[in-house]
Amino acid sequence: MTVATAVKTGKVVQIIGPVVDIEFADGQLPAIYNAVRVTGDAGGQKVDLIVEVEQHLGENRVRTVAMKPTDGLQRGMTATDEGGPISMPVGPETLGRVLNVLGEPVDFPDQPVLTKQRWPIHRKAPTLEEQSTELKMFETGIKVIDLLEPYVQGGKIGLFGGAGVGKTVIIMELINNIAMKHGGVSVFAGVGERTREGNDLWLEFQESGVIDPHDPSKSRAALVYGQMTEPPGARLRVALSGLTVAEYFRDAESKDVLLFIDNIFRFTQAGSEVSALLGRMPSAVGYQPTLLSEMGELQERITSTRKGSITSVQAIYVPADDYTDPAPATTFAHLDATTNLSRAIAELGIYPAVDPLASTSRILDPRVIGDEHYNVARSVKMLLQRYKDLQDIIAILGIDELSEDDKLTVSRARKIQKFLSQPFFVAEQFTGLKGKYVSIGDTIKGFKEIVDGKHDEIPEQAFYLVGTIEEVLEKAKAQK
Amino acid sequence: MPSLIDMRRRIRAVKSTQQITKALKMVAASKLRRAQERVIATRPFAIQAKRVLASISSRVETTTHPLLEQRPGAATGNTLIIVVTSDRGLCGSFNTNIIKAVSAFLRANKGRTMSLGLVGRKSRDLLGRRGFPVRFEYVNLPKVITSADAEAVAAAGIEDFLSGKVDSVHIVYNEFKSVMTQKVVMEQLLPMAPIDAAAENASDAQTEYLYEPSAERIFDILLKRLVEAQVLRALVESNAAFYAAQMTAMDSATRNSSEMLANLTLVMNKIRQAAITREIIEVVSGAQAL
Repeated sequence: MTVATAVKTGKVVQIIGPVVDIEFADGQLPAIYNAVRVTGDAGGQKVDLIVEVEQHLGENRVRTVAMKPTDGLQRGMTATDEGGPISMPVGPETLGRVLNVLGEPVDFPDQPVLTKQRWPIHRKAPTLEEQSTELKMFETGIKVIDLLEPYVQGGKIGLFGGAGVGKTVIIMELINNIAMKHGGVSVFAGVGERTREGNDLWLEFQESGVIDPHDPSKSRAALVYGQMTEPPGARLRVALSGLTVAEYFRDAESKDVLLFIDNIFRFTQAGSEVSALLGRMPSAVGYQPTLLSEMGELQERITSTRKGSITSVQAIYVPADDYTDPAPATTFAHLDATTNLSRAIAELGIYPAVDPLASTSRILDPRVIGDEHYNVARSVKMLLQRYKDLQDIIAILGIDELSEDDKLTVSRARKIQKFLSQPFFVAEQFTGLKGKYVSIGDTIKGFKEIVDGKHDEIPEQAFYLVGTIEEVLEKAKAQK
Repeated sequence: MPSLIDMRRRIRAVKSTQQITKALKMVAASKLRRAQERVIATRPFAIQAKRVLASISSRVETTTHPLLEQRPGAATGNTLIIVVTSDRGLCGSFNTNIIKAVSAFLRANKGRTMSLGLVGRKSRDLLGRRGFPVRFEYVNLPKVITSADAEAVAAAGIEDFLSGKVDSVHIVYNEFKSVMTQKVVMEQLLPMAPIDAAAENASDAQTEYLYEPSAERIFDILLKRLVEAQVLRALVESNAAFYAAQMTAMDSATRNSSEMLANLTLVMNKIRQAAITREIIEVVSGAQAL
């Protein structure tokens, strides 16, 4: 890619929002995905813009997508081929810093991140033989997750949920529980979400000592942001930029990396915007026809190799709570564990609003997590399923029509439902309760005791928003 | 979002449930009328019988007849509880309330030996396996309750009391207050209590009766009949209360399912409309792109 000898230059010939058409001289056409820099002067306003080549239109024209707003851009401005794709600075120097899609600093714009290497954001996924096959559970300290959909070390985890059911809160809690204790490095990619949340996270990381913006050696996390204000091109590529930073730590430093992406749906959405602007015919539900391959290219790169691992947690917005929507449905196939957040459960006041029956994990298997964990998880799911089946009967005929056994099932299921809630560290200001980290052993013990009927006498309110089963007993005693 | 077919299936299921509850409600309503007449017919006799009993018991020594005997263990010793429930369910909290009352009584008297007489299939199913000795089961109650049923139920109680196996016999049943309300009543059947004798008989306290043939002979027959009358009343009250409970329970079930149907239909229509809109958009934008 860097063999280009002469600098290829061209001229802007058409601008439609974030889409820019550029004409080059004969034989000087830049390759697809190459970055092109557009510079010029529009009435005293300097323009310096990076665009990415998406299509060759013929007649020496290329269609590109801008990574920054195209305000002030004019036809006839000079475009220079960068000779390769957009690249990110990678290396330990990125730790503690906030970068944008192009690798420019966002936190201190006057202090560029100077690294020994820059890696292109378009890269190949690890090959089949490079991939790691190890299966190990990854403790999060959140009861419902550890028990029913245990996360895989080095796996891909999806957090599905509609608007405002708590995806970002869970991501933040996971960061709090894992990233802050995690020995390796973390990378947070903010894709098309609120700038305020990005800012909050940055400040929180500084407060808790995870990062020191002025000292990479004291920092353990890098942040890459392309939030809602950015044009679709930036939101489409920022996930790749963040991933590239993470890949460096995996491939070059053989580290265990935690990659948080909030929110992968915005990646798809940006892809759909770009696709429409490029003039592709929309496919099902108006999404881009290339949805599946775009998602595949991103997801296949997020994987663990024998050298190092990337454990990724991705928040996935579910439009209109419809899980069959192509965007979440396409993401589903790539994941090792899914945590589905449900509005119905959020309405019951149970937070985290995880739907215990819809959430799954690949390692919910006795050979990985052990017989006891598996059996408790199975019986909890069965109890909740039975309760769900009985709900229609209860709604129509009333609870008195149930048999004694079913009544007991209902009362235990309701207790389990309440016990699946948990106070979060990051939600302290909302709940007024101190956050709780529950080890997997305590989680299994607590649910086992409820399923076995050891706590049939305790009122169900005592199970609400507590940590371990011992706290339930204390709370029940205090209420008496 | 659930699929359209799933929604249709659920709506159909709720609809057929509603048909059952609606039919059951009407059946209960018609049966209730007859059961109610039976209650009204039985009441005067039972009340009068009680008064006769009171009148007699105030005049004679409690030792005159074994059924009147107040043993020292009456309030603390062995007890037989006759639990009157229904054979069928779908009657709201009718049976649950009885079971709750009995359970509370059993819990409150843990030290005493309790045996149970279970009338109605529900009490057998719900109390039969609690570990208490079951003296008798009387299930499959006939459509029209007669004194023969009362006799059969009362027999075991009388026998146990006379043989000294138990020191008291209680009966628990749902009293028919009105169509809307039933009240759980727990009464002492044996020993027959000298009910407020002084007040009841203020007028004829002085009257002395001569018994012919002998007081014992009369008491033997009369007292047994009186116990049976109490039992009969309990059974008939419970029967009427059951139909009343079933009617109200089925009425609210029908209403609940109507509400549910309305909600489900709304969701179904939304899903259908969403699918139609989406298809139109796809066709139109496809046509435009061409």
